[in-house]
Amino acid sequence: MKNLRVSSSPHITSPATTQRIMLDVIIALCPAVLAMVLLYGFYPLFLTVLSVSSAVFCEWVFNIITKRTQTTRDLSAVVTGIILALNLPPVVPFYVPIVGAAFAIIVVKMLFGGIGRNFANPAITARIFLMLAWTGVMTQFVLPVDLSDGANLFAYFRQGVEISLPDAITTATPLQGVKEAISSGTDPSAGLSALDMFLGRIGGSAGEVSTLAVLIGGVYLAVRRVIDVKIPVLYIGSTALFTAIFFADSGYVGEYVWTYLLGGGLMFGAFFMATDYATSPKTPVAVVIYGLGLGFLTVVIRKYGTMNEGVSFAILLMNIVTPLLEKIKRKPFGTPHKDVKELAAAVRAKFAKKQTAVEEGGERVE
Amino acid sequence: MQFAFRTFGRGAHPPASKFTANVPLAEFDAPELLRVPLSQHIGAPAVPVVEVGDTVAAGQPIGESGGFVSARVHAPVSGRVTAVKKGVTPTGAQCVHIEIENDFEGRTAFLPPLDDPTPDMIRERVRECGIVGMGGAGFPTHVKLAPKTAPEFFLLNGAECEPYITCDCRLMTERAEEIVRGARLMAKAVGAGVALIGVESNKKGAYAALEKACGGADDVRPVLLRTKYPQGAEKQMVFALTGRRVPPGGLPADVGCVVDNVHTAYAVARAVDMGEPLISRAVTVGGGETGAPGNFFMPVGTPFSFVREKTRGERSDEDIVKVISGGPMMGVAQSGLDACVSKTTSSLLFFGAKESAATSPTQCINCGRCIRQCPMKLSPRDIEKAVVAGDFPRTEELYVTDCMECGVCSYVCPAKRPLVQAIRLAKKTLKERRK
Repeated sequence: MKNLRVSSSPHITSPATTQRIMLDVIIALCPAVLAMVLLYGFYPLFLTVLSVSSAVFCEWVFNIITKRTQTTRDLSAVVTGIILALNLPPVVPFYVPIVGAAFAIIVVKMLFGGIGRNFANPAITARIFLMLAWTGVMTQFVLPVDLSDGANLFAYFRQGVEISLPDAITTATPLQGVKEAISSGTDPSAGLSALDMFLGRIGGSAGEVSTLAVLIGGVYLAVRRVIDVKIPVLYIGSTALFTAIFFADSGYVGEYVWTYLLGGGLMFGAFFMATDYATSPKTPVAVVIYGLGLGFLTVVIRKYGTMNEGVSFAILLMNIVTPLLEKIKRKPFGTPHKDVKELAAAVRAKFAKKQTAVEEGGERVE
Repeated sequence: MQFAFRTFGRGAHPPASKFTANVPLAEFDAPELLRVPLSQHIGAPAVPVVEVGDTVAAGQPIGESGGFVSARVHAPVSGRVTAVKKGVTPTGAQCVHIEIENDFEGRTAFLPPLDDPTPDMIRERVRECGIVGMGGAGFPTHVKLAPKTAPEFFLLNGAECEPYITCDCRLMTERAEEIVRGARLMAKAVGAGVALIGVESNKKGAYAALEKACGGADDVRPVLLRTKYPQGAEKQMVFALTGRRVPPGGLPADVGCVVDNVHTAYAVARAVDMGEPLISRAVTVGGGETGAPGNFFMPVGTPFSFVREKTRGERSDEDIVKVISGGPMMGVAQSGLDACVSKTTSSLLFFGAKESAATSPTQCINCGRCIRQCPMKLSPRDIEKAVVAGDFPRTEELYVTDCMECGVCSYVCPAKRPLVQAIRLAKKTLKERRK
């Protein structure tokens, strides 16, 4: 008992650690990874492994070169790698996720100070970077494979190295169809099945297509309190709301709403990327503005933009606004609320002053 | 049905660890030598009124209050004064202690009981008996019982939201009658119409006992509150019980409330009905390295080393890593066992390596837990950043002075950053600069 430890309270800490939180995110991503394998076979899983390896390797090397404490054990690079791979089309050349993950980790994350200090979501920024670098391969999507033939699990390994895929296996994503419907004024849900979109039997990014799998992971994150559940709820809700407003006179409001909710990366973006710790605001008022802004930008980009990446761009833009939203001051508990009556009285007093000033001025002119 | 109970916004749920909740209160063995600190309260230290060699009886004043905000100190046992010297208090400060050698004769010098006292008589008796807030702060109760305007509510704090501590829980369960009696006396003294006793929902036994003692009366009743930390914080207690928000920098009196601890109410009842000054209190002795944990009535001035001796059980002193006076969330780590039980010592915890794992901070991941869970709606993340940058004026803009140092931010932080510790540094630095 000679050397008692003396420290300032609290003397206990919660079991939550950075590593445990990242592990929770990885667990939450598992349903989406599983759905990806069931829909497209092993090739996108191979890409995921490449992406994760590249991310972890880059962080490890960066820490060695810059002589920082090694941080790869916190698993955040693994999360970035998985999320990036799930954001890619199922069939892209193998070097695309490697380059993407390296960009995400080195440029977006580590150069800005590592975990918690990145200005934008690494995976999304990397995706947009890849979009611009390899627009061709990043916009061709393939149909899910038929798993009744076990050999199909390896179906896409042959095409993996090709830059352009044969027309026979490519497909349009639901949102591409919706975009055409916007210009032609036809029913956007023509030829789409809500069940297929919910389960993921459509063309799209490897891990985003199955709304069901994403929701399972999202609920897990919410239950474990890893994410602030207000963000996905506000994002998805405001997307539905703004879709209804923007397409109010189209005659197909309901159809637009459900195709926009189930198509593209909305669900995945809302649960896994908009909630990124470093780039989302924390106080309730800021979170509401952030959520509404995400929904608004997503709908605007999807309706008026030339590209369909509404979710990616909306999140990137709101990430950049986040530092400003964080400046919204929160008053400590107990700060008296200004009464509505008091506010009204203050406004009225101001107005009355102006009125008298105008009157006085008027008199003077006379 | 947890969410049905009244509570406050935000907060955290550290494991309750109330291992001693079912251990009945027992009289602790009287030590042979007691060291009574003269500063057991907020305000001026008491002035010694005995000298070395004097013979004292239990309940005899040995320190006279040193100002308006101060409190009298009494001899806890009968015996002989052997020294008047400086010593260390459980909070780590230095103050004059009066050392008394117990003669085990049990002579007492209590005051006569009061029959149907007036508010002034209650206040005077509380002052004479040296009663202070026993929840931890130690604010002299006679000052609290003299508000400028009569409040609407008198609130008794029986939340005991700190993990491990169970002394108030046992006191409410076993001495409910006295607590309710004390609540009535104190409500009468301040002129409040209603007295409410806030009890956390994990103390159902205490609640039932209080309800029985109240007997369905209108003027005093217990209220179940949600088990959440820091439910026992003053402003949070006021909000949970009355829905009123104490303004920043304000006191509960600003919203028509006076808050005091249940143990204080017990002491007031004893002082008025039995004339007994505040010379002993219930203390929980616990923690993984305590072989014989329990809840004990200990005389004020009992040395911590004596407490350890009597509760060591089968455990070895070598395994102790940390000794905490108070709870694990807000208690004070001891550098040794030289300090003695004071009027505000609610517990003494002996932690082993498992319970007090040392953590090293890693980079903030911006998860926002500290911001979302701060009961005072502050931004510990930003305050810590400002402190690290040495920008203390910025911390003031972030309302650092409204922090009550409950420790929720440091507790929930996954990166284990010293958030509340940084806040303490900021408050201290600001105070020093203002001088």
